[in-house]
Amino acid sequence: MYWICSKSMATQELQINESLAHLKTESESLKTKLEEERAKLHDVELHQVAEKVEGLGQFVMKTRRTLKGHGNKVLCMDWCKDKRRIVSSSQDGKVIVWDAFTTNKEHAVTMPCTWVMACAYAPSGCAVACGGLDNKCSVYPLSLDKNENLAAKKKSVAMHTNYLSACSFTNSDMQILTSSGDGTCALWDVESGQLLQSFHGHAADVLCLDLAPSETGNTFVSGGCDKKANVWDMRSGQCIQSFETHESDINSVRYYPSGDAFASGSDDATCRLYDLRADREVAIYSKESIIFGVSSVDFSLSGRLLFGGYNDYTINVWDVLKGTRVSILFGHENRVSTLRVSPDGTAFCTGSWDHTLRVSSSFSFSLFSVISLSPEVLLTHCVFFFFFFLQIWA
Amino acid sequence: MSVKMGSSSTSVIQAQKLVDQLRVEATMERFKISLTATDLVRYCQEHKRSDPLITGIAASSNPFKDKKSCVLL
Repeated sequence: MYWICSKSMATQELQINESLAHLKTESESLKTKLEEERAKLHDVELHQVAEKVEGLGQFVMKTRRTLKGHGNKVLCMDWCKDKRRIVSSSQDGKVIVWDAFTTNKEHAVTMPCTWVMACAYAPSGCAVACGGLDNKCSVYPLSLDKNENLAAKKKSVAMHTNYLSACSFTNSDMQILTSSGDGTCALWDVESGQLLQSFHGHAADVLCLDLAPSETGNTFVSGGCDKKANVWDMRSGQCIQSFETHESDINSVRYYPSGDAFASGSDDATCRLYDLRADREVAIYSKESIIFGVSSVDFSLSGRLLFGGYNDYTINVWDVLKGTRVSILFGHENRVSTLRVSPDGTAFCTGSWDHTLRVSSSFSFSLFSVISLSPEVLLTHCVFFFFFFLQIWA
Repeated sequence: MSVKMGSSSTSVIQAQKLVDQLRVEATMERFKISLTATDLVRYCQEHKRSDPLITGIAASSNPFKDKKSCVLL
């Protein structure tokens, strides 16, 4: 009896091994074919196409506001659609809603867990979502009454089996997309907490996600510790494109404003641009002097500038088309962990392990601003220069 | 013995998923970079004027302008 069982088991094992070998051959040949197809399209480089585009020159970026109030590392932030409010979350479990114009804190919530790695503002501006080591994503409706305890109205929406790394509302307050250390992304209904779709395909923790601009349809991109960036169809749950050129974890992904491309930032100290229609990487933003990982990336409104927050405490600004760096911003006293450009493109906000958030924008010197100097200040300047030149003459 | 069989059949399932995924990706229509990059460049150029971080904003209309009254060179 035992002899018959072991013989059929051996036959089964042989069949399985044959199937595995057959599947492996097929996957290898498909991969080679894909590489060939992608290589055929590589007829020119992006910066070559952009040769005739006028250069940007050097930019000066200046910090306009510093938001102080978190007791520990700031891990994530998001802008409200009203272009002035910001939600931020930190390692100490606090989630704060700020008015970036006045730097006032409007709301504060203490989460039951530390390391709140993800937070997002609802499109309506009436709620925020956050989560982290609690493996959940919770939604807090924002009350106009400042004295009301926000934690009382908390709604648990998403449940993962590992930490929540990123979350984002879709076009409405009704659905949330999450990514997790459990290797999956998921789409949830906020009202019922029901799982609407799950996205499997990453081989390790998923660290970031970004939804395609609404005009381009129902897709989103995710990046993970498996060095892959995957583009997903939200309705079917299918991975429709996959890119693996980074040499380390992908910490941040962001769509180009037109939706035809996306940028990624990685621990390998590079940012890269992937063209979705050519199905390949088309640019790398790196310098030999930059050796620290990129934690966060975002585009300016036109897509010409790519902002990257780095672990060496700096923000590098890249010319997306030409591949060169056009500005570097110092100021944070520890790693930059999160970076987002405001919805109207006038400024960008960065959060850091130095417990602060900074709102910065381009510093443009114009004749107009000289004319707007008050007369007393102008007079003081003239007197100063007069004595200065007097000294040189003497 | 049965545990070994279990893990082998999981490998087959995983391998089959990979092949299915690659087949889906193989059917995708792709375009040359010379075409797609031109579109990226065109988008940038079209929206350049409405990008405040590139053009800069006059101090009077900048919501984040400094409260100071002078600009030092």
